[in-house]
Amino acid sequence: MQKVIIIKYGELTTKKDNISFFLNTLKNNILKTLSKYEFDLKMDMGRMFIYASDEVLPKIIQELQYVFGIHEIILGYIDNDLEIDAIKNNSLDLISKKEFKTFKIETKRSNKHYPITSMEISRMVGSHILKNIANINVDVHNPEVLFEIEVRQNEVLYFDTKYPTLGGYPVGTLGKGLLMLSGGIDSPVAGYLAIKRGVKLEAIYFESPPHTSIQAKNKVLELANILAKYNAKMKVHVINFTRIQEEILKKLPNEYLITIMRRMMYRIGERIAYRNKCLILVNGESIGQVASQTLTSMKAINEVVNLPVIRPVACFDKLEIIDIAKKINTYETSILPFEDCCTIFVPTHPVINPSREKCEEYEKMLDYEALINEAIKNEEIIIVGEEESNKKFDDIL
Amino acid sequence: MIYLDYSATTPVSYDVLDTYNKVTKEYIGNPNSLHSLGVKSAELLTSATNQIADIFNVSASEIIYTSGATESNNMAIIGAALANRKKGNHIIVSKLEHPSIYKICEYLESIGFEISYVKNDSEGLIDFDDLKKLVRKETILVSICAVNSEVGIRQPLKMIRQIVKKENLGTIIHSDMTQAVGKVSVNLHDVDLASISAHKIYGPKGIGILYKSSNVTLTPLMYGSGKSLGTPALPLIASISKAIRLANQDLEKKERFINLLNEKIVNHLKKYDDILINKTKYSIPHILNISLMKIKPETFIHAMEKKEVYLSTNTACASGELSTSVMAIFNDLNRAKHTIRISLSSLTTTDEINKFLQYFDEEYNKLDNLE
Repeated sequence: MQKVIIIKYGELTTKKDNISFFLNTLKNNILKTLSKYEFDLKMDMGRMFIYASDEVLPKIIQELQYVFGIHEIILGYIDNDLEIDAIKNNSLDLISKKEFKTFKIETKRSNKHYPITSMEISRMVGSHILKNIANINVDVHNPEVLFEIEVRQNEVLYFDTKYPTLGGYPVGTLGKGLLMLSGGIDSPVAGYLAIKRGVKLEAIYFESPPHTSIQAKNKVLELANILAKYNAKMKVHVINFTRIQEEILKKLPNEYLITIMRRMMYRIGERIAYRNKCLILVNGESIGQVASQTLTSMKAINEVVNLPVIRPVACFDKLEIIDIAKKINTYETSILPFEDCCTIFVPTHPVINPSREKCEEYEKMLDYEALINEAIKNEEIIIVGEEESNKKFDDIL
Repeated sequence: MIYLDYSATTPVSYDVLDTYNKVTKEYIGNPNSLHSLGVKSAELLTSATNQIADIFNVSASEIIYTSGATESNNMAIIGAALANRKKGNHIIVSKLEHPSIYKICEYLESIGFEISYVKNDSEGLIDFDDLKKLVRKETILVSICAVNSEVGIRQPLKMIRQIVKKENLGTIIHSDMTQAVGKVSVNLHDVDLASISAHKIYGPKGIGILYKSSNVTLTPLMYGSGKSLGTPALPLIASISKAIRLANQDLEKKERFINLLNEKIVNHLKKYDDILINKTKYSIPHILNISLMKIKPETFIHAMEKKEVYLSTNTACASGELSTSVMAIFNDLNRAKHTIRISLSSLTTTDEINKFLQYFDEEYNKLDNLE
């Protein structure tokens, strides 16, 4: 028997006409993720098979758990002996390594010429196991161990261990989006959820030195780095927001500071998105969480752009968002105490119901087109998640 | 010079020394400072810690820097004892520990803790039945070294963990891994706390690690500001990170080579009736302990020293006393009083061993004739 990893796709199989595009993207994503290992990948009717050495297999399984678009990862065994005695003995070998009191055998036959029916195979294997392992029973409704066998044209597959997966769509199948990434808890989670639905992300981060520190920027890059694990790598557009923010602070009524600031960020985000062929903006806004996230605020801010703005966590409670942040390992980084440009200069009483008219009136006090152009001209682009970026201290360590 | 006392300490690797010098000269900022020099140092600190965490497959927050294994042992054992005082006052250690562990135990006994010493069999292996019997509801900590410093016995920590946790899931397991790391592969997930030292693996003196699983809380013995106590010793930290990386390269290949040297010595010494080899099937090849039954070990050490061969009697921290480990395993007082420890390294050459054996014969026969 040879070990094999079996990958199933689930939801993808409903994409009739585009299926080959989805599968090729998934295959390429898997090849990229596993590029440092030696293995064989075979596509086979709604599944992929990966063969590798016993040493590499567990590592591959671990890495596959970060790949979106996979709905099941199973470690199985493949054997080309189709004889019923071989099936009985192989099944017994594998199942005897598990600890259980009740079990059930399920058999599928894609080889319809096989002389014994699926039901019959299950029954024969089951009774062979009962004979050889003491103190166990068959339970067809609620077994502790469900052992699956598949008889194929030239080989038999035994499904041994199932591993958890992330589900979702293969990253890139739905085009690109631009994530507005701050150092907080919400935006990395929003990014993760967008990537999960197949959106390849770039990120935009607004910094305000000297009001914000290098530590704050590094924190955001670290968050991008964590997300990059799902996204292959990630391009981060760093925008120097200091002048815009200082101008707003100096010239505009304090209560509209955040609203106008967000409108500027949206405008810059949209332009960066256009230039980089991103189809949507993604951010971590959650309805009602802060003054700039009331529905009237969202309306007043959203109006300045034409691109769709996707807010994956809009309807989540803070605790639900935190749960995901912990699961994807961004939480610990997000709570590091460095100020970002949304937390400096916060007015004591920000406007909760801003109006468009007032926004437009106030914005006339700024030459915001020039300010935005300058900020975009000076953008800094950082790619995170590449092997090289982790080797910064190679000469020392 | 033929240095055969690698278990006492090792010469610093030039590669590690380069790291030490470079970091000392170029990373002058305090990692806790806000400015860019501080940030640069903080980034190096993070990378160095991540590298160690990756090698041991643990989380970076589980790595604590100390001045060395003795400090790690203190923080781990006293810290765990004080933190769990309400759960119980019983601690189990083996009879094969480094002297610092026994000193710590003496102190804990003086403030009301009860210490049990788990037996080992004649091969040096922890007696599992005895361990099972000793663990009880009040047992808060078990401390067993991964590799013994005098006879090199390697303990099956995974097995020990299973036995202890089956009896009492709340019992914390500590292991002094000073003599194991860089010599054999270790799995930190077998224990909750582990002590590691840099100077045994070609790193500088003055830096060690305490691995503390995130599931364990310790009462601190010292208080200070920041995540680490005071300003992190960045040159030392970068050095230990590099030393651990280098020491863990080709572990098995190095072990195979050292095993050949070890066997060469053992085969050579077989001709002497009055030399006993204190080796069992659980001894790692890096540490070879013998007893010169008719010669005072100190005399022999000094005789060999004249030929520029450097050996030790037993663990350097207990020089001049009898070998408690040899006593615990072979139960022979005379044998325990006459031990010589030869410790080998992948730096040791076959040529060195040939010369060593030649000098050994000369000096041994000279002293033997005096008896």
